[in-house]
Amino acid sequence: MIRLTRRAFLRSSAGGALAVAGLSGCRTGAGEIAPTAARRVVVVGGGWGGATAARYLRMADPSVEVLLLEPSTRFVSCPFSNLVLSGVRSIGTLTFDYRGLRERGVDVRHEPALALEPDRHRVRLAGGYLRYDRVIVSPGVEFQWEQVDGLSNARDTVLHAWKAGPQTVALAGQLQDLHDGGVVVMTVPPAAYRCPPGPYERACQIAWYLKTRKPRSKLIVLDANPSIVSKAGLFQAAWRAYPNLEYRASNKVVKVDPARREVTTEFGDTVRYDVVNLIPPQRAGTIAVEAGLVGNDRRWCEVDHVTYESVKARDVHVVGDATIGLPVPKSGTIANAMGKIAAVNVANLLNGRAAAPMAPLNTCYSWVSDREVVAVVNAYRIAGGKVVQIEQKLTPGPSTVWADHAVAWATSIWSDILG
Amino acid sequence: MAERAPTPARWLAAAAGLLLLVAAPAAGGPLDGPGYTKALACSACHGQGGNSRTEATPVLAGMPTWYFKKAIEDYASGRRLSPEMEPFAKMVRQQGVDDVAAYFAAQPREKLALEIDRAAAARGRTAARPCAACHGEDGYGDERRGIPSLRGQPPGYLRNQLLLFRADRRSPGEPALVSVKAMLKSFDDATLADLAAYYASLGR
Repeated sequence: MIRLTRRAFLRSSAGGALAVAGLSGCRTGAGEIAPTAARRVVVVGGGWGGATAARYLRMADPSVEVLLLEPSTRFVSCPFSNLVLSGVRSIGTLTFDYRGLRERGVDVRHEPALALEPDRHRVRLAGGYLRYDRVIVSPGVEFQWEQVDGLSNARDTVLHAWKAGPQTVALAGQLQDLHDGGVVVMTVPPAAYRCPPGPYERACQIAWYLKTRKPRSKLIVLDANPSIVSKAGLFQAAWRAYPNLEYRASNKVVKVDPARREVTTEFGDTVRYDVVNLIPPQRAGTIAVEAGLVGNDRRWCEVDHVTYESVKARDVHVVGDATIGLPVPKSGTIANAMGKIAAVNVANLLNGRAAAPMAPLNTCYSWVSDREVVAVVNAYRIAGGKVVQIEQKLTPGPSTVWADHAVAWATSIWSDILG
Repeated sequence: MAERAPTPARWLAAAAGLLLLVAAPAAGGPLDGPGYTKALACSACHGQGGNSRTEATPVLAGMPTWYFKKAIEDYASGRRLSPEMEPFAKMVRQQGVDDVAAYFAAQPREKLALEIDRAAAARGRTAARPCAACHGEDGYGDERRGIPSLRGQPPGYLRNQLLLFRADRRSPGEPALVSVKAMLKSFDDATLADLAAYYASLGR
């Protein structure tokens, strides 16, 4: 038995108290990364929503320390990345760095946020913790690999190319290597997923590429949904230029067999391919799921429509594709708008001001050939604390005019996001 | 009234006051002003504080409120056809066009971040002589007559608008614009591009 002197007892309890304080997030505790300002906001994820939020928070209140956690040193734009598959654009024209955000005072750290602990107001990193006053989570989407039999073990060869980057380039390479007369199969996941018109734009780009470069090849689109999810009339009209495109609605793919080069639908039909592009079902990024920010669907995060604060956790705001419940698409423009609105209202709340009702807006351009574009536009307002759509408008048909506008939009919004 | 000699201290105070005056607008960022919450989303296409960086999108920074409001009304009513701007114009109208107009009017206009073809601008200067009757020698326009400034807008945007006017696709049938549209019919596409380069080159 160890007998403690009164002095030793005091010393050890003080140590214990310190350890407990450290765990509960004392600023001086072990593993804490010391703040550089009175208030700190951590932004998790440097995509369209997160990078925008970080930049606008610095504009809304320069006295707030803003830390952005993003493992990748490069920002690669998903919008326009379907053009890489058809060889119309190079991935380099869609790739940017985070210098602009750093110049605007954002502390950009290229490391992953390992976990979010809302109860302790902190984000766990490999080398310690970041305490926050508020956190903006922009985790994007994660794939539900397990929903397609055989996919988990074939992630490196059965490509999604649904997060722009190496997979985009690899899929373009597979299409280039395809023999003339080969069959390309692409799958559309069940809604909701990132970028509703994206798969149909991709179908246009692959069909355009095959038509111009491999005219005896064909593309089969297996759509899990009962019909085209977005801009249906515009895509149907555009597809008249692509007799090499075969569209099959209500054909949910549940199995892939890379050895036999075939996919199987839920009705048991098998379709053979030479190149497959399997876009898996999706949910919110893993950090949001593990932090309990998703609802009963276990997929998406419900938020307040004005502040983007999670309905599940205080002082945690969620923006971008991971959100659900607003009448908005999972688009880049929407993520950008959410990032701005969340940033301004986080600054308002940090300064004891009321949140300001601000409505997002959406523009979404889809390339239906190498030079023609169609678009959908959505305007919203806030009514009774909820986002309500005022109007949706489509372009009358494909045009090079909208292509000019698409390029202008991309140029402008990339600059709006990254500085 | 007794005149007081300017002591060094007074000079310093005056200079400091002047500095404050000069510094005040510079300190105003794109998130200042009561209208910013209603204009926040616009920067995706129109740039920070309405300083467009692209050919297709007009500069809104420093735009007079009367012309901004006219543009919103024209887009919302379809007098200016734009599948993009029609819904957004209705959105601006619902939010309160006065606040949004005041926000953009108060934003400092930056130097246009676009290449301008100097040779085209020089040709356009000559071709623009007939335009001066309404838009003024320097393209400032005349608010009392409802004639907008053409200065410092992106050349691509100005050229597109000239093409739309010439084809009577912008404000179709508008009586006040019949003569200017007739005049534009005598200009070929290249001359319209020259005019656009000229007015774009003038700065604000």
